[in-house]
Amino acid sequence: MARFRKPVLLALVLALILLCFFAPFLWIVSNSFKPQLGIFSDVTPISWRTFLPMDPVWENYRSLFARTNILQALLNTAIVAAGQVALTLLLCAMAAYALTRIRFRGSQAVFVVILLTFLLPVEALLVPLYQVVSGLGLSNTLTGIMIPWIASPFGLFLLKQAFEELPRDLEDAARIDGAGHLRIFVSVILPNVKVPLLTLGLVTFLFSWNSFLWPLVIAQSPEVQVIQVAIAQQGSPTQLPNWGETFAGATVATLPLIVLFLLLQKYFTQGMAMSGIKG
Amino acid sequence: MTAIDCPGLAAPTRPRRTPRQRRDTRAAYAFVAPFLFLLLLFQYIPLAMMAKNAFMDYSLLNPDAAKFVGLLNFEDMLVFDDARESLAATFLFAFGVVAIVIPLGFVLALFLNSKLPARGIVRTIIMLPVVTSAVVVATMWNFLLDPSNGLVNGAVTAVGLPRQPFLTSPDQALVMIAVMTAWQQVGFAAILFLGGLQGVPKELAEAARIDGATAGQVLWNITIPLLSRTTLFVVVIMTVFSLQAFAPAFLMTDGGPQDSTNLIVYHIYKTAFVMQNAGYASALSVVLLVIVLGISLLQMWLLRARWNY
Repeated sequence: MARFRKPVLLALVLALILLCFFAPFLWIVSNSFKPQLGIFSDVTPISWRTFLPMDPVWENYRSLFARTNILQALLNTAIVAAGQVALTLLLCAMAAYALTRIRFRGSQAVFVVILLTFLLPVEALLVPLYQVVSGLGLSNTLTGIMIPWIASPFGLFLLKQAFEELPRDLEDAARIDGAGHLRIFVSVILPNVKVPLLTLGLVTFLFSWNSFLWPLVIAQSPEVQVIQVAIAQQGSPTQLPNWGETFAGATVATLPLIVLFLLLQKYFTQGMAMSGIKG
Repeated sequence: MTAIDCPGLAAPTRPRRTPRQRRDTRAAYAFVAPFLFLLLLFQYIPLAMMAKNAFMDYSLLNPDAAKFVGLLNFEDMLVFDDARESLAATFLFAFGVVAIVIPLGFVLALFLNSKLPARGIVRTIIMLPVVTSAVVVATMWNFLLDPSNGLVNGAVTAVGLPRQPFLTSPDQALVMIAVMTAWQQVGFAAILFLGGLQGVPKELAEAARIDGATAGQVLWNITIPLLSRTTLFVVVIMTVFSLQAFAPAFLMTDGGPQDSTNLIVYHIYKTAFVMQNAGYASALSVVLLVIVLGISLLQMWLLRARWNY
């Protein structure tokens, strides 16, 4: 009896988890392929119809791309995310190199200066940050969206840890050959920290792609809007007559991340677990 | 830190070490300079500005016309109800998120750490909301919770219960956005707990089982106490994260009904960018900063001891 009960219980628990975490996604995606009336009529009573588009139509996607600036927003987001990933990796790796591979006066002080910012809640700095960035003439620019986050204390700590694990012998040979710090950094250290770099790159990409409050205040004009701001302006169920179009927008905004996550899940999860140091 | 030179080379190069050290120091500062410069510009300067602006009365449209008002902004916070109500709603929200996420995240982590089948699928599925943006999650739940055509009310009526107002009810709105945020973050908590569970030595549980302890006793008397550091860590992360939530209030409730979901970051945003009262918003930001820093420092103080198993 007990041997029989266990798999049944397990199947029930799995079904519940699937229902709670996966059904909402399925509902959104399948409804993005339905006309408005179909969405409403399929909700009650709940059946497999609720979660599957029986006569899929592309109309929501067609009108989404024709009527809104979503394509521009996707492009802007891709540019911001790519720039933010590249520059974050560069700056954090350089700083981590100095702090782990060079002995120099003041390194402790530099470390403390960085450590302190680690505790700052970013949302609390919203108002003065807006003043600094717009004071630099960077409001309504893609640069303004990404530049405050490039010097990432989290990125530095992640890479610092990875750099510390590399043995000294690695660069000693290059040093005896007369290599300078730049050459050791580029051709000895960086090739040995590919996985940490990938992990940090993914977490940075996720953070950049999903960021909302900062782009909302610093880049309002339609030509520099990022995807999250564009989606947010599509409206709520009561304001907007077209649910399907909003669902299509949400699907388009999420799909790139989900695909990336499914392909590189291991590194994502690892990076997220480490980013736990900072929420 | 260990010395850079090999021991064999140390003696003959000693006289030449000083110029080399100087070169090293120059190189090191060149490597950290870009990072430090941006950190100064986008963290330390805003921090100083915020401290100053909390004592000013000004608008973001015309910041040059700022007027020094002393402690007036902080006095206003005590005199008017908005700050207290917003902080109360935010703390209640954070408490709700933590109360749901901790037990569920822990149970999910136990499942992921077991030898049961379908662990991989569950791990992937609970991480989907984590990688989805707060905006998309809020949009999704906005529609899920719609009173007339939402999926949740579809399910509620399917089991014979009356339709619920959810986000338009002052009693239910805050609960619903806390449930939604917990739904989004529970996978993250599970991953953090899983990391802790994998650090628990298996021998302890095995020894207890040999001595006749039940699985429940092992869980209660060995696993949970051993995970106290991880648990504290997850509680702090989830609290700090929840205190800074913005998208649910902005997208789902506009802080309402009756200000019941007026989360502090949304309140700061509205005060500064909509009502153009940036001085008051700065004072509110100082309070948020002090609270979050306090929680982080408390965590560091609690974890200072070496009760690390």
